[in-house]
Amino acid sequence: MDIWKLLLTGSVTTVLAFVVGMLYMGLRRKITARVQNRVGPPIYQNFLDVMKLWSKKSSINHGFMQHVAPLWMIATSITTLMFIPILNNGSTFFTNLTFEGDLIMLLYLMVVGSLGMALGAGQTGNPNSAIGVTRGLTQMVGFEIPWVMALVALMIQHRTTTVAGLLDVQVQSGTWLMLSSPFAFIAALLAIPGMFRYSPFDIVGAPAELASGPISEFGGKYLGTMMTNGAIFAFVKLTLFVDIFMGGASNLGFLLLKTFALYMFPVLWGLVSPRFRTEQAVRFFWGWPVFFGVLGLIQAAI
Amino acid sequence: MSNIIIILAIFGWAILTYIAFRLNKTLGNIFVGLIAVALPVYYFTYVPEDYSFQVMGLTLQFGFTSFSSLFAILVVILGALTLLYSIPYMNKKDRLGWFYLNFLFSIGGMLGILMSKDFVSLFIFWEIMTWSSYLIVIFSGKKVNKVGVKYMVYSAIGAYAMLMAIVLINKWSGTTNISHFFETFADYSNGAKILSSLLLLTAFAVKSALMPLHVWAPNAYTNSPMSYTSLFSGALSKMGIYGMALVAIMLYTNTGMKFFGEALAWLGAITAVLATFWAVFQTDIRKLLAYSSIGQLGYIAVGLGIGTELGVMAALFLALLHGLFKGILFMAAGAIEYRTGKTDFSELRGLIWKMPVTFFSALVAIIALAGMPPLSGLISKWLIYEALLSSEHYFLIILIFLSSTAAFLYCFHFLYGVFLGQREDDIEDVKEAPALMLVPMVLMSFGLLALGTFPGLIFKHISSSMSYLGFNDVTWEMSVLTNEWGNKIYLTHLNTMFMVVFAVFFVIITLVARKKTRRVGTKDIANAGEPILAEDNYHFSQDFYKPFWRVISPVMKYRIETFYNSFANGIGEFFQFFRRVYTGNGQTYALYVVIFLTILFIVGATLI
Amino acid sequence: MVADPILYVALPLLTAFLLPIIGKINKELIRIVPGLLFAFLVYNSIALFSKVSATHTPIIVEIAGWAPPIGINLVYSSFTGFIATIISVLALLVWAYSYKFKKLEFDNSLKYFVLLMLVTAGSIGVILTGDLFNQFVFLEIVALSSYPLVAFYRGRNGAEASFKYLLVGGFASLSILLGIVLIYSQLGTLNMADIAAHIDEMPRNIKIVSFTLLFLGFAIEAEMFPLNGWAPDTYSQAPGPIGAVFAGMTAKAGIYALIRMIYTIFDFSGAFEILLIMGVITLVVSEGIALRQENLKRMLAYSSLGQMGLLMIAFGINTKTAVIAGMLILFNHAVIKSLLFLSSSFLVYNSKDKLIKDAYGMGKKLPLTAILFGIGAFAIVGLPPFSGFWGKLYLLMASADANLLGLIALILAVSVIEIVYYFRVVNGVYFKKSKTEIEVHKPRWNASLAMIILAAAIIVVGIYPNIIYDYLVNAADTLLDKASYISHVLPNLASN
Repeated sequence: MDIWKLLLTGSVTTVLAFVVGMLYMGLRRKITARVQNRVGPPIYQNFLDVMKLWSKKSSINHGFMQHVAPLWMIATSITTLMFIPILNNGSTFFTNLTFEGDLIMLLYLMVVGSLGMALGAGQTGNPNSAIGVTRGLTQMVGFEIPWVMALVALMIQHRTTTVAGLLDVQVQSGTWLMLSSPFAFIAALLAIPGMFRYSPFDIVGAPAELASGPISEFGGKYLGTMMTNGAIFAFVKLTLFVDIFMGGASNLGFLLLKTFALYMFPVLWGLVSPRFRTEQAVRFFWGWPVFFGVLGLIQAAI
Repeated sequence: MSNIIIILAIFGWAILTYIAFRLNKTLGNIFVGLIAVALPVYYFTYVPEDYSFQVMGLTLQFGFTSFSSLFAILVVILGALTLLYSIPYMNKKDRLGWFYLNFLFSIGGMLGILMSKDFVSLFIFWEIMTWSSYLIVIFSGKKVNKVGVKYMVYSAIGAYAMLMAIVLINKWSGTTNISHFFETFADYSNGAKILSSLLLLTAFAVKSALMPLHVWAPNAYTNSPMSYTSLFSGALSKMGIYGMALVAIMLYTNTGMKFFGEALAWLGAITAVLATFWAVFQTDIRKLLAYSSIGQLGYIAVGLGIGTELGVMAALFLALLHGLFKGILFMAAGAIEYRTGKTDFSELRGLIWKMPVTFFSALVAIIALAGMPPLSGLISKWLIYEALLSSEHYFLIILIFLSSTAAFLYCFHFLYGVFLGQREDDIEDVKEAPALMLVPMVLMSFGLLALGTFPGLIFKHISSSMSYLGFNDVTWEMSVLTNEWGNKIYLTHLNTMFMVVFAVFFVIITLVARKKTRRVGTKDIANAGEPILAEDNYHFSQDFYKPFWRVISPVMKYRIETFYNSFANGIGEFFQFFRRVYTGNGQTYALYVVIFLTILFIVGATLI
Repeated sequence: MVADPILYVALPLLTAFLLPIIGKINKELIRIVPGLLFAFLVYNSIALFSKVSATHTPIIVEIAGWAPPIGINLVYSSFTGFIATIISVLALLVWAYSYKFKKLEFDNSLKYFVLLMLVTAGSIGVILTGDLFNQFVFLEIVALSSYPLVAFYRGRNGAEASFKYLLVGGFASLSILLGIVLIYSQLGTLNMADIAAHIDEMPRNIKIVSFTLLFLGFAIEAEMFPLNGWAPDTYSQAPGPIGAVFAGMTAKAGIYALIRMIYTIFDFSGAFEILLIMGVITLVVSEGIALRQENLKRMLAYSSLGQMGLLMIAFGINTKTAVIAGMLILFNHAVIKSLLFLSSSFLVYNSKDKLIKDAYGMGKKLPLTAILFGIGAFAIVGLPPFSGFWGKLYLLMASADANLLGLIALILAVSVIEIVYYFRVVNGVYFKKSKTEIEVHKPRWNASLAMIILAAAIIVVGIYPNIIYDYLVNAADTLLDKASYISHVLPNLASN
């Protein structure tokens, strides 16, 4: 393991993830605005926001856990990013730590950030934050089930637990897993909006109810870090999904195309749906998505 | 020196400690401290030797096997640490001699169980462990009948199932030797196989609180002093796992009775899910931890039930790990109780400012419990998922995943409800727990941290103990996990990566924000422009997870306990009916005599 | 010093007659002399029992020089000696316990010790005698001295209980007597060995009738369901230590007579099954009823009946392991139940109704008594390392050997019930607060000593049961070997 190479490629990957994530979020704001018949901010608005937040002179701190929460989150996102194959053509540049972890580990790694967030939000003393966290955790119990069902179906069917392994399967057979395992794909796809927490699943932040929930006490550098993290993490989720179900991408152009197409699914859904209540969200995920997940498992078993 | 001496020494020491406490409290505490130190020192230095003798025409045999010594390590370490922890924790209580007498008796009982090579001595020590733990469950004097007798009754059901199995095995195998039983088990008739193994399984399932035999556990764990509950949940329940592992592997997996193993795994999974759900809705930290224990023991049962190498590995690793993190958590709960006198979420908040070390230990334990990197919990979770995947348990894995995702809910509830949230004046006088209570917690936290990156430290022992169960003695690398399909994860890379990124950002943000950060209290929050008054507290502690309750309440309505209670009542009523036989009237009794005589004549004339 | 089985019977009877006269000399002697007597009986037991254990041959005593089958004889074997030893030790302990028992006035004290000696002599007589009619006589001595003991406090309840006992006991006497008459009319002998040797000569019908009558009579004394209606009342109304006497002596005499009849005298194999089935019914019903008792003494009494049921089961299985188990349970019942009765009577000493809730909070006031009661409770439910465990284990092993799986499950289920009601009491004694204030009576050192000895026996035997194991095996062998019993009692018969 060449530590310097990892440092270089890792940084490049991180910057890429950050930029792409930021642009996607900017696009979302733009699209949302256009649908709502507004002009909307420029696409690069999020970059400005982060810069503004980072350069803010003061930040309010309620305690140590709040201090470390954003770091915790961003450490999680970047670590996760390192374990995800960006391209499927065996390019050594974006390999990072791809071959040193597997999906089960990733599943757990991806929630570490939420725990940090939850603790930080908890320490602020704002009841809205804690309520937001409980909602988020509850929703997570909802969407993780179809998501895991889909992954389990694929993992057992192809007898591998690594993302790289699933990518190989698709490269070699030439068929995307979303086509060969449609039920698992549908289950996973339906879980995606829950992960992105866009409407109708924006119950964690819920601006009108919880005053943006867990992040309501974070400002300045803390919020800046969190936004950075959000961009990277969005890229992580999209890339992971594309890798697993959509054959990955042989170059960055395809990667952007596929991830953007996927990203549009929660975004567009969100545009036309009002917010669920928490229990409705869980019931939703345990309804049709789980049904498709079961079908996917049965398909894998047969 | 023979093995049994260590047990007798512990029992003897227990009585000496009792006497010491009658004389002088300090002297008693010294006695407790001495055994706490002597126990691990003695255990890790002495050379085991087998021993046997005859009692009542039965041969009792003692000696550690490679398998039982794995559990003995847990008992010894956790026993020593909980004893140390007890010294300050129990200091203000009365009847300390009695407490430590039973404490040491249950440690001795546990080691005796692990040392027993025949079923009769296993049973004897099992019962000693049971009643000594029962006496501690009722030690506080609260709810002695509701909780204590219930614990004893379920334990007795388990123990008597074992006793029945023992006498049957004695008949079928001709001896009560355990390994001889395993050897001859293949020759049993099918009925005998099923009966003996199920009885044994019942016995062990009660102790490890497997549903539907878990009913005693939440209250018993809650009712005993926390210093003991650490041991209770951490080590004592593992005696059930120890036996269950023997039954599941030696009797089911190794003899082709896979179906029963599968059933055990399913029971374990259901236990894990339901117990986790219950834990989510608890309002008492002790009960939350108790249900969480039951859930974790369910995972272990899953690993044992599926019986593949990875599964057993996962189960045994989790068994040890659970001892550590649940040990810490109960100790933390005890520390909180010790300093504040409260254990209910509605009365606790903001202790992070007052008890940072406790918080740190609890945080480490919770991360391990939740299975997140960079701590060792991930490894146990990873092993169990890989085991389920490679043995193609499609639906079992979903249940396990549901349970461990739902576990995040109570993990957060515990940390938030106790340590975080809006600070209030009533905690101003609270101090950090005494050093002797912190040391065990911190030590175990370091253990969890170390195992998170270097699980090979303990894998070596687990692997060699699994050779007793008939598995190959696989060499595991120090910090690389491999599943059956050859997929690996490199823990060093994962953890280093995480910690380095974390550290880099920590340095950046701390330096950048050093001077400009404004530290404020927890009442200085965004509240729609309305300041929070000093007398108000907006801590969120009521109806935690209410939405989740609405989702799963249809399932939670059905409680097996209700059924048991009505069954017990039914028995009581049934015998109430018989009480009418004893009318208290002499004439009726005389009539019975005549009737009996008549019946006897008839029976005699026809039968004899 | 001399040691002879005849002294078991002769000395207590003699002392009982002389005690009023001795009392005229010095009032203290009324208390001291019985103690000396019981101490001698214990010595007698040890001397004889060690002899019997060493030689493995029973000591046969022919009374007044008439050889059996004509004369009356006493048979002191490994089996009968074992029970006689238990009874004599128990008698000594009960004496120690009752010495200066607070409620005894002078007059009462005389009556009490006279009756105690008579019960002891009668019980040991029942066990040692080799003559059926003689056994009946001893049984009557036991019964007649028990009636006044039940009504000892001269209360209404005591009298009523005593009357019930009398009524049912009358049936027993009548029935036994009729049975004996039938046998005598057919065989012309009353010697057990002689009857056993010639039992084939009896017509089948008469054999059944006499068997039934004897069975009924002895079963009443052995407290078999449904003939035991009198027992709970007597246990609860008699003075505290007398509960121990009933459990440890008279019930043992009854069950002994039953066993001797079934094992030795008659040759009905079906009798074992009847004993087994009745034992099961007795066990289940009694323990079930004990579950919801509110009266401590009655609860112990029902529990005692349950133990008698266990004994019947053990002897009903009729294998060597089962008989060993039976002997163990007999020992345990005598020791543990006595400890429970003795300690519980201090827990509810001044309570009028002897309710369980009157014993609440006694753990603090009477720590020693409470812990002894606790040990008794732990032992009786069969928790190791107390002696009750081994009895249960052996009984279960015997059941397993006899393929009685259902029986094993049943015994264990009943044990769970036992745990429930005993532990409730123990918990109450330690942790509940009594609502009514009852004056506490502390045991004197002699009473404490008696209870401690019993508790020590429980623990020692529990930890190291080998101490009595050989005796149990010998006793079981002796009981099962009918032929050697006959040949030892009637050496001439074999040569004829």
